[in-house]
Amino acid sequence: MKRAGIGGLLIAVPLALALLGPLFVPERQTRGAPFTPLGLLGTDFVGRDAWYQVLAGGRTVVLVALIATVLSYLAGVPYGVLAATARLRLADEALMRPLDVLLAVPSLLVLILVAAIAGQGLAVLIGVVTLVNFPDVARLSRAAALEISGRPALEAMRMQGESWWQTSIIYTGRSMLRTLAADVGVRLTAALYLVASASFLGVGVPPDASDWAVMVDRNRGGLFLQPLTVVVPALLIVALSVGLNLVFDRALKRVRT
Amino acid sequence: MSLASYTARRAALGLVQVLAVVTLVFFLVEALPGDAAVALAGDHPDPARIAQIRAAMGLDRPTLERFAEWLVGLPQLDFGVSLVSGRPVADFLFGAIGPTVALAGLTLVLLVPISVLVGVLAALREGSLLDRALTSISVALHSIPEFALAVVLIAVLGVQLAWLPPTAVGADLFAQPAVLVLPLVVLLARPICSISRLVRAGMIDALASEYVRHARRLGIGRTRVRFAHALPNALAPAVQQVARTTDWLLGGVIVVEAVFVIPGLGTVLVDSVAARDFPVVQGLAVVFAVTTVVVNLLADLVAFRLAPRAEVVA
Repeated sequence: MKRAGIGGLLIAVPLALALLGPLFVPERQTRGAPFTPLGLLGTDFVGRDAWYQVLAGGRTVVLVALIATVLSYLAGVPYGVLAATARLRLADEALMRPLDVLLAVPSLLVLILVAAIAGQGLAVLIGVVTLVNFPDVARLSRAAALEISGRPALEAMRMQGESWWQTSIIYTGRSMLRTLAADVGVRLTAALYLVASASFLGVGVPPDASDWAVMVDRNRGGLFLQPLTVVVPALLIVALSVGLNLVFDRALKRVRT
Repeated sequence: MSLASYTARRAALGLVQVLAVVTLVFFLVEALPGDAAVALAGDHPDPARIAQIRAAMGLDRPTLERFAEWLVGLPQLDFGVSLVSGRPVADFLFGAIGPTVALAGLTLVLLVPISVLVGVLAALREGSLLDRALTSISVALHSIPEFALAVVLIAVLGVQLAWLPPTAVGADLFAQPAVLVLPLVVLLARPICSISRLVRAGMIDALASEYVRHARRLGIGRTRVRFAHALPNALAPAVQQVARTTDWLLGGVIVVEAVFVIPGLGTVLVDSVAARDFPVVQGLAVVFAVTTVVVNLLADLVAFRLAPRAEVVA
């Protein structure tokens, strides 16, 4: 119980800042000199108030990670089920083998390569993170669906002449839900990791974006002058990922026992 | 399946993976608008000049012909020529490979004993305070982005307390080992968590298994049962995770080099992406992909050797 409390708290602070923060950023901001002790946290590398940047900068990280996770499930689950229920073994192989290639390349390298080619933009970032997460989701869904399609209950349903919709979507889908739910936490933290690391490396986001990871990168020059402009966004990202891990790990244990 | 036939099958798969990745990398870059000639022609491109450069570089030949040539050059370590500086890509790679190999190698050398030790300790005292503390920490730290951890450590240990150098700017990595401490801690944080958890789980399973009980009934000593009989079986899944770790490690090295300003392959990658120097990017992608495939291959073979009846999925 105690651990869920810590994890929940660790998530709550960055999440609240990310979702509500942008509402408290004033329309007009004055720009001062870079890295002066003005305002709550000082000013950043171009003289903006770092506290307002913190307020405004969580939304992209959180939303991109969330959207990419949802999309990778939307694409990966049908793909995996299709491979598992394919009549021809060849079709199964043809669907799953190309994924081995994707899994053979370091994910950050895929991200950098595709973003270098596709250019900047949040859509590109979402697309690449989805692409990197997709093979894992597809593999997992295939394994789960294969196990289910061998069950006697499904055989019986088929022999009774239940419709494809009833067997494949309703029954298989509902049975897979547990396995997939157990995996959500892993996917979400992986997506968060990728989004933050990519933004830090300057992939897919403009160089002066209001984004926690970009702030960490850009304000590093002022680490000696205004350390808080770097440490606060870094700690928010750390808190978010540690919190997510703790909460999902606990939820997983509750499901299993 | 014998080790030899498994090796042959696994190697064939690895070769296909490498070929597929290499092909993908070439045609992805090929799909880009503009090419080397446009990039070299400068800010005010003159069509005649572009055509001239294209002819000189052989870019006017069909794509497949150039692909074949590039492919033939790869085993001879000929990766083409950089667009920005005109130097061979291989020069860039060899110039920067030292720090990266040192970082990744040291991480792996430290990673295996530490995580096995942590995992075994936690497993032998299952349910104790030590076990719960180690498990909580490893769950919590499991997927912290390296750059965030690195920056916090730099701010605390490097700047506030000034115990360790905050970056590696201008330092010789091998002459000043203190420079390497923070990067190594950052690189080790994630993989230690995942591998020690696997070792712990494998060890607990193995210690509860029938064959360990039988070995105890036979009167084999406690230490021998634990380390000669239970541990190898517990290690098989961990070895494969070590291989998956190289995936993280390569990603982590890119980030860590950027944070600590270490002139390795990751820095070359980030720079060449920023400068749109695609032959260099291609060369690096090939090197990274081949490394990953080879390491995965080796790990699968080791896992197969450790626990031959375990189903090893490629």
